[in-house]
Amino acid sequence: MIRWLIKGMLRDRTRSLFPFIVVTVGVALVIVLVGFMDGVIMGMMDSTAHLDTGHLRVVNKPFYDEEHLNPMDRALGSQKITGDWLRANSDPEIVWSPRIRWGAIMDVPDERGETRSQTPVMGIALDLLSQDSLELKRLNLAESLTRGRLPNKRGEILVGYQLAQTLALELNRPVTLIGQTFDGGMATDNFTVVGFVRFGIFAMDKKMALIDLVDAQETFYLDDIVTDWLGYLPSYVSFREYDRYRSRLEFQMKTLINLHPSGWAKDDFPIVVSILDQRNIRPIAEKFLVVRKFIIGIFLFLMVVVLWNAGILNGIHRYGEMGIRLAMGETHSHLLLSLVTESFVVGLVGSVAGCVLGGACTYALQEIGLNMGDAFAQSGLMLSDVARARLSVGGFVRGVIPGLTASVLGTFIAGLAIYKRSEANLFREQEAG
Amino acid sequence: MENSLIQLNRITKVYRMGGEDFTALHEINLRVEPKSFMSFVGPSGSGKTTLLNLIGGLDTPTSGDIIFCDESLGGMSPDQRASYRRENIGFVFQSYNLLPVYTVYENILFPFLLANLKESDVRDRVMSIVDQVGLIPQVSKRPSELSGGQCQRVAIARALVKEPRLVLADEPTANLDKENSYQILELMLDLNKKFDAAFVFSTHDEKVTKFVRREIGLEDGYVRWDKRRNGDGDFE
Repeated sequence: MIRWLIKGMLRDRTRSLFPFIVVTVGVALVIVLVGFMDGVIMGMMDSTAHLDTGHLRVVNKPFYDEEHLNPMDRALGSQKITGDWLRANSDPEIVWSPRIRWGAIMDVPDERGETRSQTPVMGIALDLLSQDSLELKRLNLAESLTRGRLPNKRGEILVGYQLAQTLALELNRPVTLIGQTFDGGMATDNFTVVGFVRFGIFAMDKKMALIDLVDAQETFYLDDIVTDWLGYLPSYVSFREYDRYRSRLEFQMKTLINLHPSGWAKDDFPIVVSILDQRNIRPIAEKFLVVRKFIIGIFLFLMVVVLWNAGILNGIHRYGEMGIRLAMGETHSHLLLSLVTESFVVGLVGSVAGCVLGGACTYALQEIGLNMGDAFAQSGLMLSDVARARLSVGGFVRGVIPGLTASVLGTFIAGLAIYKRSEANLFREQEAG
Repeated sequence: MENSLIQLNRITKVYRMGGEDFTALHEINLRVEPKSFMSFVGPSGSGKTTLLNLIGGLDTPTSGDIIFCDESLGGMSPDQRASYRRENIGFVFQSYNLLPVYTVYENILFPFLLANLKESDVRDRVMSIVDQVGLIPQVSKRPSELSGGQCQRVAIARALVKEPRLVLADEPTANLDKENSYQILELMLDLNKKFDAAFVFSTHDEKVTKFVRREIGLEDGYVRWDKRRNGDGDFE
């Protein structure tokens, strides 16, 4: 019977081509939209995580509580022990990187060594010089250089390109950082500007400077001390999983807390926060999920309505066929089942085609991206200029389910009319037809 | 007394139309014998089609009972009536009602598929009846490629392929010219003998009257006459 039905569908394009096109386009659009939305939100999260928060972050609670003041004296000691413990005991998927958040006045001297310009800067110290450092790649620094080069030795600094413009900085010229040491003293150190970096984030391009971790530890007297341990999860881990990783790490961290390495102050108490707990990201993520459901819902609804109407048109087109089948002894339920089977086949084939089409478009958007530089230029959000889609199995599932559901549901609703059709009028209808 | 294939006992059918009751059939009593070749004749609105609907299990009477081979249709559920039609009745329509996207072979095969039989098991039976209705050269053609007479042959083959005990034909010659009408009626008469199926027509075509062995005249929902041919071929 199924072979017979499929034969009919292939020969009668009016009952297969239009629903096929609707399902294909609908599924493809859902995949592209979901992929693009996932890409944008995950891109935002990754940008934020790479530059600032990590997907997970281990930080001393006293530091975290007063983070806005950047209280270096509450940074977490015993860097080596803590790092070794995290790498050995946390989930093996997490890659850990130590960071120091610092703030200082950047003083730019003229030829005579007198202050020419000054501005407060926010800075990150990270491992820029190790051979096996992942930070350069993580922050995409090589591609982000607008001028100059990456640091290759101690005492070198990278500066946001807009900050460089503001201060009229020149490459290979010294700048002085004036800040506060771990124990509250005044810290000053000279660095050579070796490169200007375009982070693609307005706030960072205008205020950010990067130095090597060891330089920062020397400048700010942070011997074996860092402000943050940032944990990075693989890209296939959805942000919805971050809380689960956080909870597990929190549980595991009890051992380290009980260990209380000697470099920790008496009241030091490292906590684990996920990216969702920082920068107000959780509400954004939750809203994103609602919007995504809403969009999928709208597409599902539209597809159901269109396919429902297609089913009604199909029913009118095949009125005679339905009548004769009922007269020949096919039950209403069997007839409805055969219509639903047909629509399932169309939905399945359309969904596969939609997956191919939507997958190809999403892949293109993932690889090429859309340059949203102008739109994002003035935003303070950590959004990359290039919005990219993200192809995922979940995206395909979210496309296929509405595709199949709409196809079957649309036909089912249209097919319910069969139940209302009285066989008694068949002869008359056949005569009229 | 010969066994009845169908027996109608005081069948009345009332339709509600525009808030008023319209009685299409008044207490009809009728017996249809196996292998009959008979027709209901009468003007439009006389109740011919209603009677075919009731006998075919497409509709239920307002009162009275229809007995098919000792089984009452009155107590059947819709699905049971569908099963009754599937197993016992073949339908032939005025406008053929072939499935346009399927070939002659596939149209005739369809009743078997409804009965969940495999094509490989029934192929010979389908081809045999295609042969008997003289459509072997057209077996792979679709209805749009056939003449009216050929389409009606396909419809007859489809009605008979499962060897039902009763074929109900509603104005089977109404869309055919004279020559094709006679050919179709001769074919049906021939198949009536070969298949042992009773043929019941509703018609007001006089050509049909020449072929049937029994004619029941209907008027305003009443049986006005019931004539059978005698040994000389004349109506008694």
